Amino acid sequence: MKDNQPFPTPPRWASRLLKWYCAPHLLEEIQGDLEEEFEYQKKLNGPKKARLDYIFNVLRFMRPFALKRKQNQYPKTVYHMNMSRHYLLLAYRNVLREKAFSIINISGLALGLACCIVIWLWVDSERKTDNFHNYPDKLYNVYYTLHANGLATGGQTIPRGLTISNYKDYKNTFLLADDLKEAIPEIQYASMYTTGYELPWGHPVTFRHGEKLHKLEGSMADEDFFKMFNYPVIAGNKQKALQGKSIAISRKMANMFFNSPGDAIGEILRYENKLDLIIGAVFEDLPKESSLTFEYLISWEAFMAGDVEEAISSWHTFIQLGNVKDRPVVESKIKDFLSKYHEGKEFKIELGLQPFNQMYLYSNFENGKPSGGRIDYLNIFSGVGIFILLIACINFMNLATSRSVKRAKEVGVRKTIGSSRSQLVVQFLGESVMLSFLSLVLALLIVQLYLPVFNATTGKQLLLPVDDLYFWSLLTGLTLLTGLVAGSYPALFLSSLDPVRVLKGAFRFRKSAIFSRKGMVVLQYVVSFLLIISTITVTLQTRFMQNTNLGYDRENLIYIRVEGELIPKYGIFRQRASELSGIAAIDRSSEPPHQMKFAVYAPIKWEGLESESNTTVPFQPTSVGFDFLKLMKLELVEGRGFSRSNPADTSAFMVNEKAVKQMGMKDPIGKWISAWDKKGKIIGVLKDYHTKSLHQPIAPIIVDVKEDLFFGDIVVRTEPGKTKEALEGLEEICREINPDYPFAYKFLDHEFEKIYHTEQMTARLSNIFAGLAIIISCLGLLGLVMFSIEQRRKELSLRKILGATISNILGLLSKDFLILVSISFVVTVPLAGYFMNEWLQKFAYRIELTWWIYAISGLAVVLLTVIIVFIQAFKSALANPVKYLRSE
Amino acid sequence: MGEFEEIVLLVVAMLEGEAYGVNITHEIIEQTFRKVRLNQVHASLHRLEDKGMVISRMGGATKARGGRRKRIFTITAYGRQALHDIQAIRNKLWQQQPSPITHAIQI
Repeated sequence: MKDNQPFPTPPRWASRLLKWYCAPHLLEEIQGDLEEEFEYQKKLNGPKKARLDYIFNVLRFMRPFALKRKQNQYPKTVYHMNMSRHYLLLAYRNVLREKAFSIINISGLALGLACCIVIWLWVDSERKTDNFHNYPDKLYNVYYTLHANGLATGGQTIPRGLTISNYKDYKNTFLLADDLKEAIPEIQYASMYTTGYELPWGHPVTFRHGEKLHKLEGSMADEDFFKMFNYPVIAGNKQKALQGKSIAISRKMANMFFNSPGDAIGEILRYENKLDLIIGAVFEDLPKESSLTFEYLISWEAFMAGDVEEAISSWHTFIQLGNVKDRPVVESKIKDFLSKYHEGKEFKIELGLQPFNQMYLYSNFENGKPSGGRIDYLNIFSGVGIFILLIACINFMNLATSRSVKRAKEVGVRKTIGSSRSQLVVQFLGESVMLSFLSLVLALLIVQLYLPVFNATTGKQLLLPVDDLYFWSLLTGLTLLTGLVAGSYPALFLSSLDPVRVLKGAFRFRKSAIFSRKGMVVLQYVVSFLLIISTITVTLQTRFMQNTNLGYDRENLIYIRVEGELIPKYGIFRQRASELSGIAAIDRSSEPPHQMKFAVYAPIKWEGLESESNTTVPFQPTSVGFDFLKLMKLELVEGRGFSRSNPADTSAFMVNEKAVKQMGMKDPIGKWISAWDKKGKIIGVLKDYHTKSLHQPIAPIIVDVKEDLFFGDIVVRTEPGKTKEALEGLEEICREINPDYPFAYKFLDHEFEKIYHTEQMTARLSNIFAGLAIIISCLGLLGLVMFSIEQRRKELSLRKILGATISNILGLLSKDFLILVSISFVVTVPLAGYFMNEWLQKFAYRIELTWWIYAISGLAVVLLTVIIVFIQAFKSALANPVKYLRSE
Repeated sequence: MGEFEEIVLLVVAMLEGEAYGVNITHEIIEQTFRKVRLNQVHASLHRLEDKGMVISRMGGATKARGGRRKRIFTITAYGRQALHDIQAIRNKLWQQQPSPITHAIQI
């Protein structure tokens, strides 16, 4: 087809290629020659061949002589002392001339940067957790994966049942750490570790030396512990600190009991009034980067001897490799290490290694492998930080671009006088970098002022690391980058302008520029919407969890641990305490009722159970006193509660609805049920109530009466407003009955709130960040509105002269922005819905994502937009039109 | 100076102020039956100009060239001298050849 054209021409793409690569000073002759040759060939061989020939010729000309550019006659220095002084002066004057714009610009960027810095500090401090040890890459925690019923579960601590240790006979005990060390020579050190304060059984432990009594929280660990971890020992022998029946204590603890850490060595501390431990070492107070926390460490040997109580029946096993490279070897050896002890069983257990410094951030398990945890929050907030900075950058860019209209004439003049493009680019980039550094100074100021507030909310101890070179270089880099990115568009755009057209006043933004600016506004709004919606959702969920009816009344409840003389004398205590004024009810429970952690499968049997139970949810057996129902104000569905007047009730059971369902009973009352070797009849069914956090569904509960248990908590309900009185009374009785233990109590509702600490923190943080994002977006919007009014001054004045009312003008101006808002709203809703749903999946009991969550956020943003537009537009709508039309 | 450059230079001299890329190429093809491409000629011309054997100026435009000007090359005195030198050396060497070669060529 092309051959039949009346005037066949050379292929366009080839000509373009030539134009692109050829040195400009040679282009004309080469192009001319090629074209002449083409005409010649056309006559000779026809257009088709001529075209082919042309293409070959173009390709053949790609030779050094044609590629090489001619050197410029004039030196191209971008940097010039006088010029930079001039640029600085001009930047300064520009900032001053447009005060409103400059303030919006600088403060917006400063807020964004400040936000980014705070988040970075937080993330950094979280990441530094557990990184202070001498060989962080050699330290591992042994985790387990359990395959059973086609499901894989796992955890960082290995249940004692799986490690089949023999409690009674320490010498012949199977102990994972020791066995591992023996079996796998690549493991240099190994230590078991478990705390004494974790739930379900843990509690602060009472120590006595002479007359001094203190309650402290600590852990148990093996001999190797101090060799592996960098907890400096300041007194005593590090090697022998945890041998025999010994204890190592912190500097703080040493100072509580003795004059100085040195005095403590060799002294004896009495543990829970039943065991004497020799102080083998004093270690430095733990740094805040340590995820393990303990005031003391009791030797594993003493723990295994049996008198030291365990808090939780699954233990950590830490190992240190001799060589970093041995990890794969050790991993393959350790994988099936435990399975040989569990041959022929229905489950399969595997062991794996998790780097010690990742334990804190990756504590969740999915399919039996570590995945996620705190790191998810870190990632989310890092994302938020980056987005907020992005918004700030976009604003900065938008404002600078809009303002560039005013600078276009300057560019025209500069170009006419002889400024090169690169000089202009440097000028504009320099200006924006200067502004961004100004913002940095402001941002640092904001951070410095705000950090105490942040620390109070998150319980962190963040400080500006003023002496950290890395921090400063990162910050400088970030600011420089921000400045360059923010200034890039105006710099490149302005410098490309054609001076003649600009000076004639024919300067206009291209459609694409306007479009991209609108796109950026939409992006900003999307981020703001997302943050607002997530803030509302998180806040609502948190509030929901705190206000949900748990099925019992958690107000005015305090609990005291059953310990020491309280164990045998509980009856006397209950008697005397119930006579005190200010006390409404008193009873006991084997676990704090708001956070029951003890759960079992096998020992629970019931009438109608065929062979083995195949339940998937473990039962939660709990032992209480006779008055538990009255104390907690629990509701009965069927039957009756325990009664003191009926002593046979000690062998009776109560269950909750969930348990009835799980056992598959039709008429539960009167049927037998057994737990371990205790068997009895069900006398009542409790209405389901929450015994743990709302993350988890209600578990099947089995309740019986045991008032003589050697552990548990005494739960007291005080009369409203009389808590202080009641506490004083209780303390007096405690001191009398149980003199070897200090009186300590906890408020149930405080402890209850602590469960949701993470969610509360998230809610608070997202409140803050959403607020910041909105402020920054508003600043950006404000700038754009101001600019668009500035641009349309004359148009508005003409409209007024022709009879437009103030409301006409307001409508006209706000319409544009409202369209953008609605676009971004439409984009955000599905996005936010998806993310929020994901987050809510973590909770067994959660709020619904109702339409009004979206509606509120939409309305709020629309309102803000309208207010900003109106405030700005009013000024110009009221202004005298003559003022703006007179100039021409 | 290479053999090809010598030919280009000779053609430039021959065309007397009319020499530019296309017609030099065509002239060489016609006279020597070699397959010569424009880019080779251009490259040689550049080298010759660098050596100072030709000078160039931008000449008139024609329609066939899409209105673009051509670069006209003229030989310099130095270029001419160089050609003469080469010829002299050749002649001298030819005269000193033993007769078999001369005969061989004549055959």
